[in-house]
Amino acid sequence: MTASEHTLAPQRNRTLFFSLLALVIPGSSQFLMGRRWRGALLFLSIPVLGYIVYWAQSYQKVGLVTIGSWTTSWLWAPLALFWIWNVFDARRLGNGQESNSFLGLLLVLVILYVVAWNVTQIKPERLVTRFNDAKSVATNLVNPDVITITINGEDRICAWQCMSEYISDTLAGRPTQGPIRASKTLLDIIGRVEQVKAPAWEVKLGLAQSGGQVTGFVAGSLIETIAMGLMATIFSTILAIPVSFLAAHNIMSRVPGGNVVYYITRTLLNIVRAVDPVVWGLLIIVWVGLGSFAGVIALTIHSLAALAKLFSEEIEHIDPGPVEAVTASGANLIQTLRYAVVPQITPPFLAYTLLRWDINMRAATVVGFVAGGGIGFFVVETIRMGGYQLYATALWSVAVVIILVDAISSTWRARILADQPSEPEKRRSTWVKIRTAFLVLLGVLAFIYCWNISEISIKDLFAPAPTLGSILHDFVTIDLGPKTLGPVVQQMLITIFQAMLATTLGAIIALPFSFLAARNLTGRSKLSVWIFYLTRGLFNVLRSIEALLYAAIFVFWVGIGPFAGMMALAVTTFGLIGKLFSEAIEEIDPGPIEAVTATGASPLQVINYAILPQIVPPFTSYLIYQWDINVRMATIIGFAGGGGIGLMLNTFFGLLQYHKAGTVVLFIVVVVALMDFASAKLRQVLV
Amino acid sequence: MLRVENLTKVYPNGTQALKNVSFEVADGEFLAVIGLSGSGKSTLLRCINRLIEPTSGKIYWDDTDVTAAKGPEIRKIRRQIGMVFQQFNLVKRASVYTNVMSGRLGYVDTFPSLLHVFSAQDRARALANLDQVGLSEKIHVRVDSLSGGQQQRVGIARALMQEPKLMLADEPVASLDPVLAHSILKYLEQLNKERGITVLCSLHFLDLVHRYATRAIALKDGELVFKGLPQEIDDAQFKSIYGQEAERVSII
Repeated sequence: MTASEHTLAPQRNRTLFFSLLALVIPGSSQFLMGRRWRGALLFLSIPVLGYIVYWAQSYQKVGLVTIGSWTTSWLWAPLALFWIWNVFDARRLGNGQESNSFLGLLLVLVILYVVAWNVTQIKPERLVTRFNDAKSVATNLVNPDVITITINGEDRICAWQCMSEYISDTLAGRPTQGPIRASKTLLDIIGRVEQVKAPAWEVKLGLAQSGGQVTGFVAGSLIETIAMGLMATIFSTILAIPVSFLAAHNIMSRVPGGNVVYYITRTLLNIVRAVDPVVWGLLIIVWVGLGSFAGVIALTIHSLAALAKLFSEEIEHIDPGPVEAVTASGANLIQTLRYAVVPQITPPFLAYTLLRWDINMRAATVVGFVAGGGIGFFVVETIRMGGYQLYATALWSVAVVIILVDAISSTWRARILADQPSEPEKRRSTWVKIRTAFLVLLGVLAFIYCWNISEISIKDLFAPAPTLGSILHDFVTIDLGPKTLGPVVQQMLITIFQAMLATTLGAIIALPFSFLAARNLTGRSKLSVWIFYLTRGLFNVLRSIEALLYAAIFVFWVGIGPFAGMMALAVTTFGLIGKLFSEAIEEIDPGPIEAVTATGASPLQVINYAILPQIVPPFTSYLIYQWDINVRMATIIGFAGGGGIGLMLNTFFGLLQYHKAGTVVLFIVVVVALMDFASAKLRQVLV
Repeated sequence: MLRVENLTKVYPNGTQALKNVSFEVADGEFLAVIGLSGSGKSTLLRCINRLIEPTSGKIYWDDTDVTAAKGPEIRKIRRQIGMVFQQFNLVKRASVYTNVMSGRLGYVDTFPSLLHVFSAQDRARALANLDQVGLSEKIHVRVDSLSGGQQQRVGIARALMQEPKLMLADEPVASLDPVLAHSILKYLEQLNKERGITVLCSLHFLDLVHRYATRAIALKDGELVFKGLPQEIDDAQFKSIYGQEAERVSII
């Protein structure tokens, strides 16, 4: 007997044992062989997939097949194969071989996508059969209601064609069809100058009589939206700074009882962050009533939680070196904070605030859907009236504002993070001082103006509606009876699948475009430079508008339901993920490409060995991240007819069934927080 | 035998990187290319395997005209010429094995290689080459978890997969600690002496040139200013290559 035969027999027993164990308890063998994550994932995925297949079969009638008198779903077959694959996986690991996840992953994806396709009620034929509806919406969208023309005493929308006629008539000296002016929609959005009641400060300064009329500017819904986003960012930043210290582990672990505070704060922040500002809006209107103020509060709450988390992570990653050095020089606590801590955290805090400003502006455009106020409320009204040209005006103006905000925020952010401010060294000229003073004054005036038009009222905050107590009580009395729970779980699953399909669809379409929008792949020719700017522009326009605002288009095209919501989410996804993908492509290191080319590899081999390994991990990571975002967005897409759990939540609030609404919110919190956690963990493993 | 005749390279922005450079390298030589940063060393090496297209001049490798080769022909020439780089040029997120295997791509069919399928022979070759550079136990490790010196050894193993007759090394030790520089150059010396691979290596430090090279050429502003034995570089030569203010430094 040779030495190798000695080791072979126990080896064979070991492999058999692990195979059998995996057959009985999926994942257990992998776990025992040290592949903890793989084992845990397998162990969890079998029952989860089992439930999904069961649910799809009995509630959604997916993939039904009849064998004799026995009706079942064919989806059980890939699940069974997955189980068997898990046994083979254990066997390979037991033999010391590296296992291939491809087949297992494929089976899981088959199950998930088949279920998703069915429960999202995808009806691709509608995209074609109702194409004429889509065409009419599209025509309306590119002809927004900006100019009104009066022909024979009748007001009409004057779009591109009418405008070009008007201009050519004027240039040729011909009489025009009628006088033109800015449309009512445009004035509603931007604002108008008219007679208003004299504001208190003008009366006090003696410029106007008490109760008299003065000429004033009445802000339109877009200005209101900008004010809401700005106020929410300022409030949430101020509030997030103290909270972030409570959520920083390195600070709290030095305080007695601090760990408890740390965990409570972190948990609360995660819960608050999981609820979309639009859902917060539903709760807040119960408190302060409909209006911009409710929107500001809703945005502030969500933004506070998100910022506090980012801030606290920044505090946790502070470099202890300077703290040590300043302490060693004999400085006291306050001095140490001022000279060693504050300089380290100020730039990232500012950068995050600017990022948040961008996000808050986007959210402010939709929070009005439920809270009233701002452009969101305007959109709801125009859709209700079927005024798609009016709706188009709103969409385009949102796109312009958000693209501007995005550009300002990102250049400013880049500048902050690039050069650390070194104020004491810099000699300040009088001109700089005057400019700074002027900007500060301008900022203060803007703040006061925004405060006024977003109808902020501290009084309302402390004098809530008398019914608030009973409603809140009703809300936290979460109804977990089967009659509520069943439908909630159903809608939650549909929402998750909706987000998954939207991510996939958006990403598949974005993929080829992202290569066109990568600067390092752009050639020198004029044409390719034009293509670069066009694709980048397309990404920027599409991602500047929230999915909720797109939903109306698809509701008209394919009808109310999860399919419309999925399509709306996919459009935003296309813009977001296209930008992320093209940036990932721009970060490709040219070194490996050079090296693999030098070995004599063909172009295809170069792509496979030098380019794909560099972009697949970031692409996968962005996909997971986008799915995470889309689940959160999908929870509210129902507010605009996009189906899923948002529709249900809206209904419960509308029917004043707050105990059921509480259940829905609880589920949203749990699912979004779980997705957030899982996506962060997965992305950590990937990159 | 490698023969370079009147090689000139002008970049699109007008920079003249190489001016009429001519020299020969006999089989089995260890030729050092010296000169300041920006003197054209990298351009010269990359012209030899046509990673950069020369503007004019000829390059002959074993009497094949490299400059005239096209498509599949140039790939056949490239696979005989290994290359190691200053920045290693490995795919950091991929495993050592995948990176080393990418050195064999010029020999295998495209389709199986797209599925990462290699013959048992090639897999054995990868293991042997990793063994040669002392990294066989790291075969399934991701490259980004390796140190700089280890990454450069993976780079050498990748080049060895080509079974090269000529090895181009572009500042192979400039990104490494001085101590590691010797370990990397010793591997190149070993390949040169034991396998008879001709080595063309650009280097910064003169003492490394003295220690490893059998012959040296020097470039200054794209022109060939020296051709000869390393020990022939005296103080006057040194000043003419590196400028009047340069001083000799030692890293040994």
